[in-house]
Amino acid sequence: MKPAPFAYARPGSVSDAARLLASHAAEASLLAGGQSLMPLMTRRLARPALVIDINRIAGLDQMELLPTQVRMGALVRQEQALRSPIVRQYIAGVAEALAWVANPVVRQRGSVVGNLVTNSPGAEMPAVAMALGAQFVMRDQDSETTVPAAQLLGAGKEIPAGTMVTHVLWPRRTGAAGFYEVARRDGHAPVVSAMVTLSGDDCRVAVSGVCATGLSCPTMARLIAREFPHPPHTRDLARALQADLTGPAYGDSYSSAAYRLEVAPMVTQRAAAQMAMQAPAV
Amino acid sequence: MIEATRSVSTPLDVSTTVDVSMTVDVSMTVDGAPLRARVPARYLLSDLLREQAGAGGVHVACGQGICGACTVAVDGTAVRACLMLAVQADGTRVQTVASLSELEGETPARRDDLTPLQKAFREHHALQCGFCTPGLLVSTALFLSQHRAAREGAGARPGRAEILDHLNGHLCRCTGYANIIAAIESVLT
Repeated sequence: MKPAPFAYARPGSVSDAARLLASHAAEASLLAGGQSLMPLMTRRLARPALVIDINRIAGLDQMELLPTQVRMGALVRQEQALRSPIVRQYIAGVAEALAWVANPVVRQRGSVVGNLVTNSPGAEMPAVAMALGAQFVMRDQDSETTVPAAQLLGAGKEIPAGTMVTHVLWPRRTGAAGFYEVARRDGHAPVVSAMVTLSGDDCRVAVSGVCATGLSCPTMARLIAREFPHPPHTRDLARALQADLTGPAYGDSYSSAAYRLEVAPMVTQRAAAQMAMQAPAV
Repeated sequence: MIEATRSVSTPLDVSTTVDVSMTVDVSMTVDGAPLRARVPARYLLSDLLREQAGAGGVHVACGQGICGACTVAVDGTAVRACLMLAVQADGTRVQTVASLSELEGETPARRDDLTPLQKAFREHHALQCGFCTPGLLVSTALFLSQHRAAREGAGARPGRAEILDHLNGHLCRCTGYANIIAAIESVLT
């Protein structure tokens, strides 16, 4: 029994979960796949007084193809999304990124929304959601709102306490995509990762690991679109990245900020090359 | 970076219809045998299996989801038992390495016969100390059956890249993985 003691609740509906969460905002944690929360709890880096297990809420494991969006519930597992024809066909970049998250056993349990709400520089998906213009469906005690992910993810931002993300809405977007990352060990959190996707001449670039959280990089994206199908030179990508930084570069005791800034253009260049190989000939 | 959340020790004031409790009743089957227990909510599935179900094949090494030694099947899906609360397995069918022949879809002629995967591991020296082996066997059996199901009739088999992706979830400090890869490749049909 490594986690600190906590009370456990297993609500059967979103409204019950939202009510419980709202009444214990500061001391409650939502448990979906648990692949981020449980290691934090066993190391006692997280000590919630109340764990709200949402795994038995019906319907949250569904993906729906809407006219302009794909709606993904908070219990959709990473492996389920990665293998979904809807995701592969209608949200270019997401399956490519999910394939790099952890390993198959963890992906079968870990949820896409769970990876997003970590808002961590060591997670692949937050940057992808920001770059693709995803939205969160947020539920608190009395209302449901839809908020752009970019307003809640990124440096200095957070999901308000007492609020539950019930769904993520991905804008439908067909096209080619590439992903690449460097990690200290395969299947571990990336040091730097990059997703590049091109739909028509609309290019998006998501980079993790160089800012405190994920980063959407429109300047690098314009450069890649302009030079497509040739990946730009890393020197030019490095200059573009400087324009895209929204805050101080991030570093930790393993990988300095300087290293990450140096490696990010190379990682992005490889993702762009991958994308070019996937795209139909021009 | 990850920040520790605030710890609160005051009792919770809960005024909803949902049960909130520090102690939970759980009921499941473990390798075919029914198991009922009353446990603290923080009790991990790995601890429940070892301490209350006598499932010694559930090896706990890192205890934080990195090494894969404690991998079991919960309702047919591979799960790291150290990252699941016992209460989350309530109402499920749990299979450990003791159910390996079932997980491989084999009916052994005699109870102690090795399964095809076990034979392959032995023939290819895919283990030395054996600590990581039970979790590896469980998740490999599920990995192979998923592939069989997904590619029924297509004739394709998992390639080296997919096997390596699968092995990403398991730490083995003895073999260097080459023999494990050889064992898995030898049972692909």
